[in-house]
Amino acid sequence: MKRIIRLGLAGAVMASAGLAAVVAWPIGVPPRPFDLAGNVDRGAYLARASGCIACHTDVAGGGAPLAGGVKFETPFGTLYSPNLTTDKVHGIGGWTLEQFAVAVRQGISPDGQPYYPAFTYPFYGNFTDQDIADLWAAFQTVPPMAKASQDQDMTFPFNQRWGLKLWRAAFLEPPRTNPIPGNDDVWNRGRLLVEGAAHCAACHTGRNFAGARKSDTEHFKGSDALPGGGKAPAIDFDSLKKKGWTLDSLAFALRTGITPDGDAFGGAMGEVVLYGTSFLTEEDRRAMATYLLDDHSGG
Amino acid sequence: MKISKLTAGAIAASIISAAALAHGGATGIVKERMDGMGVMKEAMKVLTPMMQGKTAYDAATVRREAKNIAAHAGNALTKLFPEGSLDKPSVAKPEIWQDWATFTALADQLQTFSDGLASASKNGLMMTGTAQGGMMGNTTTMGSGMMGSGTMMGSGTMMGGGMMGGGGMMGGQPDPGALAQMPADGVFMMLSQTCSACHTRFRTE
Repeated sequence: MKRIIRLGLAGAVMASAGLAAVVAWPIGVPPRPFDLAGNVDRGAYLARASGCIACHTDVAGGGAPLAGGVKFETPFGTLYSPNLTTDKVHGIGGWTLEQFAVAVRQGISPDGQPYYPAFTYPFYGNFTDQDIADLWAAFQTVPPMAKASQDQDMTFPFNQRWGLKLWRAAFLEPPRTNPIPGNDDVWNRGRLLVEGAAHCAACHTGRNFAGARKSDTEHFKGSDALPGGGKAPAIDFDSLKKKGWTLDSLAFALRTGITPDGDAFGGAMGEVVLYGTSFLTEEDRRAMATYLLDDHSGG
Repeated sequence: MKISKLTAGAIAASIISAAALAHGGATGIVKERMDGMGVMKEAMKVLTPMMQGKTAYDAATVRREAKNIAAHAGNALTKLFPEGSLDKPSVAKPEIWQDWATFTALADQLQTFSDGLASASKNGLMMTGTAQGGMMGNTTTMGSGMMGSGTMMGSGTMMGGGMMGGGGMMGGQPDPGALAQMPADGVFMMLSQTCSACHTRFRTE
Protein backbone atom coordinates (compact mmCIF):
# COMPACT_ATOMS: atom_id res chain seq x y z
CA MET A 1 0.00 0.00 0.00
CA LYS A 2 2.74 2.38 1.00
CA ARG A 3 4.53 1.41 -2.15
CA ILE A 4 1.56 2.38 -4.28
CA ILE A 5 1.26 5.73 -2.55
CA ARG A 6 4.96 6.30 -3.01
CA LEU A 7 4.74 5.40 -6.68
CA GLY A 8 1.76 7.67 -7.09
CA LEU A 9 3.60 10.47 -5.38
CA ALA A 10 6.64 9.98 -7.58
CA GLY A 11 4.37 10.00 -10.60
CA ALA A 12 2.73 13.21 -9.48
CA VAL A 13 6.10 14.85 -8.89
CA MET A 14 7.29 13.82 -12.32
CA ALA A 15 4.06 14.97 -13.92
CA SER A 16 4.23 18.35 -12.29
CA ALA A 17 7.89 18.68 -13.21
CA GLY A 18 6.91 17.83 -16.77
CA LEU A 19 4.09 20.33 -16.61
CA ALA A 20 6.40 22.99 -15.21
CA ALA A 21 8.77 22.28 -18.06
CA VAL A 22 6.00 22.70 -20.60
CA VAL A 23 4.78 25.88 -18.94
CA ALA A 24 8.32 27.30 -18.96
CA TRP A 25 9.08 26.01 -22.45
CA PRO A 26 9.92 29.02 -24.58
CA ILE A 27 8.23 29.02 -27.97
CA GLY A 28 8.81 30.85 -31.19
CA VAL A 29 11.89 32.59 -32.49
CA PRO A 30 12.71 36.24 -31.96
CA PRO A 31 12.53 38.10 -35.27
CA ARG A 32 15.59 39.73 -36.69
CA PRO A 33 15.18 43.36 -35.79
CA PHE A 34 13.91 45.16 -38.83
CA ASP A 35 13.22 48.75 -39.49
CA LEU A 36 11.29 49.08 -42.70
CA ALA A 37 8.98 51.90 -43.65
CA GLY A 38 5.49 50.46 -44.10
CA ASN A 39 3.08 51.43 -46.82
CA VAL A 40 -0.40 52.07 -45.41
CA ASP A 41 -2.28 51.24 -48.60
CA ARG A 42 -0.43 47.98 -49.11
CA GLY A 43 -0.97 47.09 -45.47
CA ALA A 44 -4.66 47.88 -45.61
CA TYR A 45 -4.98 45.74 -48.72
CA LEU A 46 -3.20 42.84 -47.05
CA ALA A 47 -5.36 43.24 -43.94
CA ARG A 48 -8.46 42.99 -46.14
CA ALA A 49 -7.10 39.90 -47.89
CA SER A 50 -6.23 38.33 -44.54
CA GLY A 51 -9.64 38.81 -42.98
CA CYS A 52 -8.44 41.02 -40.10
CA ILE A 53 -11.46 43.29 -40.48
CA ALA A 54 -14.01 40.49 -40.79
CA CYS A 55 -12.95 38.70 -37.60
CA HIS A 56 -12.01 41.68 -35.47
CA THR A 57 -15.01 43.89 -36.16
CA ASP A 58 -18.32 43.21 -34.42
CA VAL A 59 -20.47 44.42 -37.28
CA ALA A 60 -23.67 42.89 -35.92
CA GLY A 61 -23.13 44.48 -32.52
CA GLY A 62 -22.31 47.87 -34.04
CA GLY A 63 -18.70 47.68 -32.83
CA ALA A 64 -15.96 50.02 -34.04
CA PRO A 65 -13.63 48.75 -36.76
CA LEU A 66 -11.07 46.27 -35.41
CA ALA A 67 -12.22 46.73 -31.82
CA GLY A 68 -12.87 42.99 -31.54
CA GLY A 69 -15.65 41.26 -29.66
CA VAL A 70 -16.79 38.82 -32.35
CA LYS A 71 -17.85 35.59 -30.71
CA PHE A 72 -16.66 32.18 -31.96
CA GLU A 73 -18.24 29.08 -30.51
CA THR A 74 -15.87 26.16 -30.85
CA PRO A 75 -16.08 22.59 -29.55
CA PHE A 76 -13.54 23.66 -26.91
CA GLY A 77 -15.29 26.72 -25.60
CA THR A 78 -16.10 30.25 -26.66
CA LEU A 79 -13.54 32.68 -28.04
CA TYR A 80 -13.85 36.42 -28.60
CA SER A 81 -11.66 38.27 -31.09
CA PRO A 82 -9.53 40.84 -29.24
CA ASN A 83 -9.27 44.60 -29.68
CA LEU A 84 -6.70 45.43 -32.37
CA THR A 85 -7.10 49.20 -32.31
CA THR A 86 -4.28 51.54 -31.30
CA ASP A 87 -5.54 51.87 -27.73
CA LYS A 88 -2.44 51.52 -25.56
CA VAL A 89 -4.17 49.61 -22.79
CA HIS A 90 -6.84 47.51 -24.48
CA GLY A 91 -5.53 47.34 -28.02
CA ILE A 92 -2.12 46.97 -29.61
CA GLY A 93 -1.09 50.62 -29.35
CA GLY A 94 1.67 49.81 -26.88
CA TRP A 95 3.25 47.09 -29.02
CA THR A 96 6.50 47.26 -30.94
CA LEU A 97 6.85 46.27 -34.58
CA GLU A 98 8.81 43.19 -33.50
CA GLN A 99 6.04 42.09 -31.10
CA PHE A 100 3.51 42.57 -33.86
CA ALA A 101 5.65 40.47 -36.21
CA VAL A 102 5.83 37.62 -33.68
CA ALA A 103 2.09 37.78 -33.03
CA VAL A 104 1.11 37.69 -36.71
CA ARG A 105 3.66 35.24 -38.07
CA GLN A 106 4.15 32.98 -35.05
CA GLY A 107 0.97 33.34 -33.03
CA ILE A 108 2.68 34.39 -29.81
CA SER A 109 1.61 37.33 -27.70
CA PRO A 110 4.05 39.99 -26.42
CA ASP A 111 4.07 38.23 -23.03
CA GLY A 112 5.11 34.96 -24.64
CA GLN A 113 1.77 33.18 -24.54
CA PRO A 114 0.61 31.12 -27.51
CA TYR A 115 -2.60 32.22 -29.20
CA TYR A 116 -5.45 29.85 -29.86
CA PRO A 117 -5.33 28.67 -33.47
CA ALA A 118 -8.75 30.25 -34.07
CA PHE A 119 -6.45 33.18 -34.85
CA THR A 120 -5.30 32.13 -38.31
CA TYR A 121 -1.62 32.96 -37.77
CA PRO A 122 -0.54 29.55 -39.15
CA PHE A 123 -1.41 31.00 -42.59
CA TYR A 124 0.58 34.19 -42.08
CA GLY A 125 3.88 32.50 -41.24
CA ASN A 126 5.48 33.41 -44.56
CA PHE A 127 4.53 37.09 -44.57
CA THR A 128 7.67 39.02 -45.47
CA ASP A 129 9.19 41.68 -43.24
CA GLN A 130 7.82 44.22 -45.71
CA ASP A 131 4.32 42.71 -45.42
CA ILE A 132 4.53 43.03 -41.64
CA ALA A 133 5.79 46.62 -41.83
CA ASP A 134 2.94 47.48 -44.21
CA LEU A 135 0.33 45.89 -41.96
CA TRP A 136 1.81 47.66 -38.97
CA ALA A 137 1.64 51.00 -40.76
CA ALA A 138 -2.00 50.37 -41.66
CA PHE A 139 -2.93 49.39 -38.12
CA GLN A 140 -1.43 52.68 -36.87
CA THR A 141 -4.24 54.51 -38.70
CA VAL A 142 -6.97 52.79 -36.67
CA PRO A 143 -8.42 55.10 -34.02
CA PRO A 144 -8.01 53.82 -30.45
CA MET A 145 -11.03 52.27 -28.81
CA ALA A 146 -10.83 52.03 -25.03
CA LYS A 147 -12.74 48.79 -24.88
CA ALA A 148 -11.34 45.80 -23.03
CA SER A 149 -10.98 42.58 -24.98
CA GLN A 150 -13.38 40.01 -23.65
CA ASP A 151 -11.84 37.14 -21.69
CA GLN A 152 -11.75 33.85 -23.56
CA ASP A 153 -14.20 31.34 -22.17
CA MET A 154 -12.64 27.96 -22.88
CA THR A 155 -13.51 24.79 -21.01
CA PHE A 156 -10.90 22.88 -19.00
CA PRO A 157 -8.31 21.77 -20.09
CA PHE A 158 -8.40 24.05 -23.13
CA ASN A 159 -8.29 27.12 -20.92
CA GLN A 160 -4.71 26.18 -20.00
CA ARG A 161 -2.62 28.12 -22.48
CA TRP A 162 0.46 25.97 -21.92
CA GLY A 163 -1.46 23.14 -23.56
CA LEU A 164 -1.20 25.09 -26.79
CA LYS A 165 2.55 24.60 -26.73
CA LEU A 166 1.98 20.89 -27.09
CA TRP A 167 -0.60 21.61 -29.78
CA ARG A 168 1.95 23.69 -31.67
CA ALA A 169 4.57 20.99 -31.39
CA ALA A 170 2.17 18.39 -32.71
CA PHE A 171 0.20 20.26 -35.35
CA LEU A 172 1.66 23.61 -36.37
CA GLU A 173 2.85 23.52 -39.96
CA PRO A 174 4.14 26.21 -42.30
CA PRO A 175 1.76 27.63 -44.89
CA ARG A 176 1.92 26.15 -48.37
CA THR A 177 2.75 29.42 -50.02
CA ASN A 178 6.09 28.49 -51.54
CA PRO A 179 6.03 29.12 -55.30
CA ILE A 180 5.95 25.97 -57.40
CA PRO A 181 8.59 26.12 -60.14
CA GLY A 182 7.15 25.59 -63.58
CA ASN A 183 3.86 27.30 -62.76
CA ASP A 184 3.38 30.87 -63.90
CA ASP A 185 3.25 34.02 -61.80
CA VAL A 186 -0.54 34.20 -61.80
CA TRP A 187 -0.84 30.65 -60.47
CA ASN A 188 1.78 31.26 -57.80
CA ARG A 189 0.22 34.57 -56.82
CA GLY A 190 -3.06 32.70 -56.40
CA ARG A 191 -1.31 30.10 -54.26
CA LEU A 192 0.22 32.80 -52.09
CA LEU A 193 -3.20 34.33 -51.45
CA VAL A 194 -5.27 31.14 -51.14
CA GLU A 195 -2.86 29.19 -48.94
CA GLY A 196 -1.60 32.26 -47.09
CA ALA A 197 -3.37 35.53 -46.38
CA ALA A 198 -6.86 34.49 -47.45
CA HIS A 199 -6.58 31.31 -45.33
CA CYS A 200 -9.27 29.44 -47.26
CA ALA A 201 -8.28 26.16 -45.61
CA ALA A 202 -9.22 27.47 -42.17
CA CYS A 203 -12.86 26.78 -42.99
CA HIS A 204 -12.71 24.51 -46.02
CA THR A 205 -10.60 21.77 -44.39
CA GLY A 206 -11.87 19.37 -41.76
CA ARG A 207 -10.34 19.39 -38.30
CA ASN A 208 -9.26 16.59 -36.01
CA PHE A 209 -10.04 15.91 -32.32
CA ALA A 210 -7.65 18.68 -31.31
CA GLY A 211 -9.01 21.26 -33.71
CA ALA A 212 -6.05 20.99 -36.08
CA ARG A 213 -6.62 20.90 -39.81
CA LYS A 214 -6.40 17.46 -41.41
CA SER A 215 -4.24 18.99 -44.06
CA ASP A 216 -2.68 15.73 -45.25
CA THR A 217 -5.89 13.99 -46.10
CA GLU A 218 -8.66 16.56 -46.24
CA HIS A 219 -7.11 19.73 -47.61
CA PHE A 220 -9.98 21.77 -49.13
CA LYS A 221 -12.39 18.82 -48.81
CA GLY A 222 -14.84 20.90 -46.79
CA SER A 223 -15.87 20.96 -43.14
CA ASP A 224 -19.12 20.72 -41.26
CA ALA A 225 -17.76 22.00 -37.97
CA LEU A 226 -17.23 25.72 -38.38
CA PRO A 227 -17.41 27.92 -35.28
CA GLY A 228 -21.07 28.32 -34.45
CA GLY A 229 -21.97 25.13 -36.33
CA GLY A 230 -21.71 26.27 -39.95
CA LYS A 231 -20.61 24.21 -42.91
CA ALA A 232 -18.08 24.92 -45.63
CA PRO A 233 -18.22 23.00 -48.91
CA ALA A 234 -15.31 21.23 -50.55
CA ILE A 235 -13.25 23.57 -52.71
CA ASP A 236 -10.63 21.17 -54.02
CA PHE A 237 -10.26 21.62 -57.78
CA ASP A 238 -12.14 18.42 -58.51
CA SER A 239 -15.19 19.43 -56.49
CA LEU A 240 -15.19 22.96 -57.89
CA LYS A 241 -15.08 21.65 -61.45
CA LYS A 242 -17.81 19.10 -60.80
CA LYS A 243 -20.02 21.88 -59.51
CA GLY A 244 -19.45 23.80 -62.71
CA TRP A 245 -17.28 26.64 -61.40
CA THR A 246 -15.13 28.40 -63.99
CA LEU A 247 -12.38 30.98 -63.73
CA ASP A 248 -14.86 33.73 -64.58
CA SER A 249 -17.66 32.60 -62.30
CA LEU A 250 -15.36 32.02 -59.34
CA ALA A 251 -13.62 35.38 -59.72
CA PHE A 252 -17.04 37.01 -60.06
CA ALA A 253 -18.33 35.27 -56.92
CA LEU A 254 -15.28 36.45 -54.96
CA ARG A 255 -16.09 39.98 -56.12
CA THR A 256 -19.87 40.03 -55.65
CA GLY A 257 -20.87 36.99 -53.60
CA ILE A 258 -23.15 35.91 -56.47
CA THR A 259 -22.84 32.28 -57.54
CA PRO A 260 -23.53 30.90 -61.04
CA ASP A 261 -26.92 29.56 -59.96
CA GLY A 262 -28.01 33.05 -58.93
CA ASP A 263 -27.62 32.59 -55.19
CA ALA A 264 -25.68 34.96 -52.94
CA PHE A 265 -23.24 33.66 -50.33
CA GLY A 266 -24.44 33.95 -46.78
CA GLY A 267 -22.85 33.42 -43.39
CA ALA A 268 -19.07 33.19 -43.14
CA MET A 269 -18.40 33.11 -46.91
CA GLY A 270 -20.53 36.22 -47.27
CA GLU A 271 -18.23 37.92 -44.77
CA VAL A 272 -15.16 36.76 -46.65
CA VAL A 273 -16.42 38.45 -49.80
CA LEU A 274 -18.05 41.49 -48.24
CA TYR A 275 -15.15 42.47 -45.98
CA GLY A 276 -12.33 40.81 -47.90
CA THR A 277 -12.18 39.62 -51.48
CA SER A 278 -14.54 42.30 -52.85
CA PHE A 279 -11.77 44.79 -52.00
CA LEU A 280 -9.06 42.93 -53.87
CA THR A 281 -7.99 43.70 -57.41
CA GLU A 282 -9.57 41.76 -60.24
CA GLU A 283 -6.10 40.38 -61.00
CA ASP A 284 -5.81 38.92 -57.51
CA ARG A 285 -9.29 37.41 -57.58
CA ARG A 286 -8.52 35.79 -60.91
CA ALA A 287 -5.21 34.53 -59.56
CA MET A 288 -7.02 32.92 -56.62
CA ALA A 289 -9.56 31.33 -58.96
CA THR A 290 -6.78 30.13 -61.28
CA TYR A 291 -5.02 28.35 -58.43
CA LEU A 292 -8.18 26.91 -56.90
CA LEU A 293 -9.34 25.47 -60.21
CA ASP A 294 -6.04 23.81 -61.00
CA ASP A 295 -4.66 20.58 -59.63
CA HIS A 296 -2.55 21.73 -56.70
CA SER A 297 -2.97 18.62 -54.59
CA GLY A 298 0.72 17.83 -54.61
CA GLY A 299 1.68 21.27 -53.34
CA MET B 1 -55.75 -7.54 -40.86
CA LYS B 2 -56.52 -4.41 -38.98
CA ILE B 3 -52.85 -4.05 -38.24
CA SER B 4 -51.86 -4.38 -41.86
CA LYS B 5 -54.38 -1.66 -42.75
CA LEU B 6 -52.82 0.55 -40.12
CA THR B 7 -49.40 -0.22 -41.51
CA ALA B 8 -50.56 0.56 -45.01
CA GLY B 9 -51.99 3.82 -43.73
CA ALA B 10 -48.74 4.66 -42.02
CA ILE B 11 -46.80 3.88 -45.17
CA ALA B 12 -49.16 6.01 -47.24
CA ALA B 13 -48.81 8.85 -44.74
CA SER B 14 -45.05 8.67 -44.81
CA ILE B 15 -45.03 8.63 -48.61
CA ILE B 16 -47.13 11.78 -48.61
CA SER B 17 -44.85 13.51 -46.14
CA ALA B 18 -41.82 12.34 -48.10
CA ALA B 19 -43.37 13.94 -51.16
CA ALA B 20 -43.89 17.13 -49.21
CA LEU B 21 -40.23 17.03 -48.15
CA ALA B 22 -39.18 16.60 -51.74
CA HIS B 23 -40.70 20.01 -52.37
CA GLY B 24 -38.33 21.50 -49.83
CA GLY B 25 -40.42 20.63 -46.83
CA ALA B 26 -41.30 24.25 -46.25
CA THR B 27 -44.84 25.16 -45.38
CA GLY B 28 -46.78 28.33 -44.76
CA ILE B 29 -44.94 31.61 -44.64
CA VAL B 30 -41.50 30.00 -44.71
CA LYS B 31 -42.42 28.31 -48.00
CA GLU B 32 -43.85 31.56 -49.34
CA ARG B 33 -40.64 33.48 -48.70
CA MET B 34 -38.37 30.68 -49.87
CA ASP B 35 -40.34 30.61 -53.12
CA GLY B 36 -39.93 34.39 -53.39
CA MET B 37 -36.19 34.08 -52.85
CA GLY B 38 -36.21 31.35 -55.49
CA VAL B 39 -37.74 33.77 -58.01
CA MET B 40 -35.00 36.30 -57.26
CA LYS B 41 -32.34 33.62 -57.55
CA GLU B 42 -33.63 32.62 -60.99
CA ALA B 43 -33.60 36.27 -62.05
CA MET B 44 -29.98 36.62 -60.87
CA LYS B 45 -29.10 33.46 -62.75
CA VAL B 46 -30.29 35.08 -65.97
CA LEU B 47 -28.80 38.49 -65.21
CA THR B 48 -25.36 37.45 -63.99
CA PRO B 49 -23.95 36.05 -67.29
CA MET B 50 -25.55 38.93 -69.17
CA MET B 51 -23.85 41.49 -66.95
CA GLN B 52 -20.54 39.71 -67.48
CA GLY B 53 -20.99 39.80 -71.24
CA LYS B 54 -21.28 36.01 -71.41
CA THR B 55 -24.73 36.09 -72.93
CA ALA B 56 -26.04 38.73 -75.31
CA TYR B 57 -27.33 41.84 -73.60
CA ASP B 58 -31.05 42.29 -73.96
CA ALA B 59 -32.61 45.36 -72.36
CA ALA B 60 -36.11 43.85 -72.26
CA THR B 61 -34.87 40.75 -70.43
CA VAL B 62 -32.92 42.84 -67.94
CA ARG B 63 -35.97 44.98 -67.31
CA ARG B 64 -38.23 41.96 -66.86
CA GLU B 65 -35.88 40.17 -64.45
CA ALA B 66 -35.23 43.36 -62.49
CA LYS B 67 -38.97 43.76 -62.05
CA ASN B 68 -39.21 40.16 -60.90
CA ILE B 69 -36.74 40.98 -58.15
CA ALA B 70 -38.46 44.25 -57.31
CA ALA B 71 -41.75 42.42 -56.86
CA HIS B 72 -40.20 40.41 -54.01
CA ALA B 73 -38.15 43.21 -52.41
CA GLY B 74 -38.94 45.86 -49.82
CA ASN B 75 -42.14 45.37 -47.90
CA ALA B 76 -43.05 42.30 -49.98
CA LEU B 77 -39.94 40.68 -48.51
CA THR B 78 -40.08 41.88 -44.91
CA LYS B 79 -43.78 41.08 -44.42
CA LEU B 80 -42.89 37.39 -44.89
CA PHE B 81 -40.64 37.48 -41.83
CA PRO B 82 -42.97 37.62 -38.82
CA GLU B 83 -40.99 37.48 -35.60
CA GLY B 84 -39.68 34.04 -34.74
CA SER B 85 -40.66 32.36 -38.03
CA LEU B 86 -37.73 29.99 -38.13
CA ASP B 87 -39.41 26.67 -38.88
CA LYS B 88 -37.28 24.25 -40.83
CA PRO B 89 -36.00 24.31 -43.50
CA SER B 90 -35.66 28.07 -43.04
CA VAL B 91 -32.08 29.30 -43.14
CA ALA B 92 -32.96 32.68 -41.61
CA LYS B 93 -31.05 33.85 -38.55
CA PRO B 94 -32.80 35.12 -35.43
CA GLU B 95 -30.62 38.25 -35.80
CA ILE B 96 -33.27 39.48 -38.25
CA TRP B 97 -35.52 40.45 -35.37
CA GLN B 98 -32.70 41.69 -33.17
CA ASP B 99 -31.74 44.13 -35.91
CA TRP B 100 -34.99 44.68 -37.76
CA ALA B 101 -33.94 48.21 -38.84
CA THR B 102 -30.94 46.90 -40.79
CA PHE B 103 -32.98 44.07 -42.26
CA THR B 104 -35.68 46.40 -43.54
CA ALA B 105 -33.07 48.91 -44.77
CA LEU B 106 -31.48 46.16 -46.87
CA ALA B 107 -34.87 45.01 -48.17
CA ASP B 108 -35.65 48.63 -49.14
CA GLN B 109 -32.23 48.98 -50.74
CA LEU B 110 -32.98 45.88 -52.79
CA GLN B 111 -36.20 47.53 -53.90
CA THR B 112 -34.37 50.72 -54.91
CA PHE B 113 -31.64 48.88 -56.81
CA SER B 114 -33.98 46.46 -58.59
CA ASP B 115 -36.27 49.32 -59.64
CA GLY B 116 -33.12 51.22 -60.59
CA LEU B 117 -31.88 48.32 -62.70
CA ALA B 118 -35.20 48.19 -64.54
CA SER B 119 -34.82 51.91 -65.33
CA ALA B 120 -31.15 51.54 -66.26
CA SER B 121 -31.71 48.50 -68.48
CA LYS B 122 -31.84 50.72 -71.58
CA ASN B 123 -28.34 52.05 -70.80
CA GLY B 124 -26.58 48.80 -71.56
CA LEU B 125 -23.21 47.77 -70.18
CA MET B 126 -20.29 50.06 -69.59
CA MET B 127 -18.09 47.03 -70.03
CA THR B 128 -18.83 46.82 -73.73
CA GLY B 129 -18.86 50.54 -74.26
CA THR B 130 -22.59 50.64 -74.93
CA ALA B 131 -23.30 52.57 -71.77
CA GLN B 132 -24.70 56.06 -71.97
CA GLY B 133 -23.59 57.23 -68.59
CA GLY B 134 -20.02 56.58 -67.52
CA MET B 135 -20.20 57.92 -64.01
CA MET B 136 -18.58 54.91 -62.45
CA GLY B 137 -15.50 54.62 -64.60
CA ASN B 138 -15.07 51.00 -65.56
CA THR B 139 -16.21 47.69 -64.17
CA THR B 140 -13.01 46.75 -62.45
CA THR B 141 -13.26 49.72 -60.16
CA MET B 142 -16.89 49.06 -59.32
CA GLY B 143 -16.65 46.30 -56.77
CA SER B 144 -13.86 47.72 -54.75
CA GLY B 145 -13.76 51.27 -55.99
CA MET B 146 -17.18 51.95 -54.62
CA MET B 147 -15.86 51.29 -51.21
CA GLY B 148 -12.59 53.03 -51.43
CA SER B 149 -10.03 52.39 -54.10
CA GLY B 150 -9.36 48.79 -53.29
CA THR B 151 -7.68 49.49 -50.01
CA MET B 152 -9.01 48.58 -46.64
CA MET B 153 -10.81 51.85 -46.24
CA GLY B 154 -9.73 54.16 -48.96
CA SER B 155 -7.95 57.43 -48.66
CA GLY B 156 -5.01 55.81 -47.01
CA THR B 157 -6.49 55.17 -43.62
CA MET B 158 -7.97 52.10 -42.01
CA MET B 159 -11.22 53.92 -41.43
CA GLY B 160 -13.61 55.68 -43.68
CA GLY B 161 -16.86 54.70 -45.24
CA GLY B 162 -17.30 51.31 -46.74
CA MET B 163 -15.80 49.68 -43.72
CA MET B 164 -19.00 48.37 -42.34
CA GLY B 165 -21.48 46.09 -43.98
CA GLY B 166 -25.18 46.17 -43.67
CA GLY B 167 -27.34 49.14 -44.35
CA GLY B 168 -24.57 51.64 -44.00
CA MET B 169 -22.47 50.06 -46.69
CA MET B 170 -23.64 52.30 -49.48
CA GLY B 171 -24.18 55.32 -47.32
CA GLY B 172 -27.95 55.30 -47.25
CA GLN B 173 -30.52 54.96 -49.99
CA PRO B 174 -29.28 56.03 -53.40
CA ASP B 175 -31.18 58.39 -55.65
CA PRO B 176 -33.41 56.55 -58.17
CA GLY B 177 -32.84 59.32 -60.73
CA ALA B 178 -29.07 58.79 -60.57
CA LEU B 179 -29.46 55.01 -60.82
CA ALA B 180 -31.56 55.40 -63.98
CA GLN B 181 -28.60 57.17 -65.61
CA MET B 182 -26.05 54.52 -64.71
CA PRO B 183 -24.86 51.64 -66.86
CA ALA B 184 -26.93 48.56 -66.08
CA ASP B 185 -23.99 46.53 -64.84
CA GLY B 186 -23.10 49.29 -62.39
CA VAL B 187 -26.55 49.09 -60.82
CA PHE B 188 -26.39 45.31 -60.96
CA MET B 189 -23.17 45.33 -58.92
CA MET B 190 -24.84 47.41 -56.23
CA LEU B 191 -27.85 45.13 -56.26
CA SER B 192 -25.73 42.00 -55.91
CA GLN B 193 -23.82 43.53 -53.02
CA THR B 194 -27.14 44.12 -51.29
CA CYS B 195 -28.03 40.43 -51.72
CA SER B 196 -24.66 39.45 -50.25
CA ALA B 197 -24.82 41.94 -47.40
CA CYS B 198 -28.23 40.66 -46.34
CA HIS B 199 -27.34 36.98 -46.64
CA THR B 200 -24.12 37.57 -44.74
CA ARG B 201 -25.90 39.17 -41.83
CA PHE B 202 -29.15 37.26 -41.80
CA ARG B 203 -28.76 33.86 -43.44
CA THR B 204 -27.01 30.91 -41.85
CA GLU B 205 -25.16 29.72 -44.96
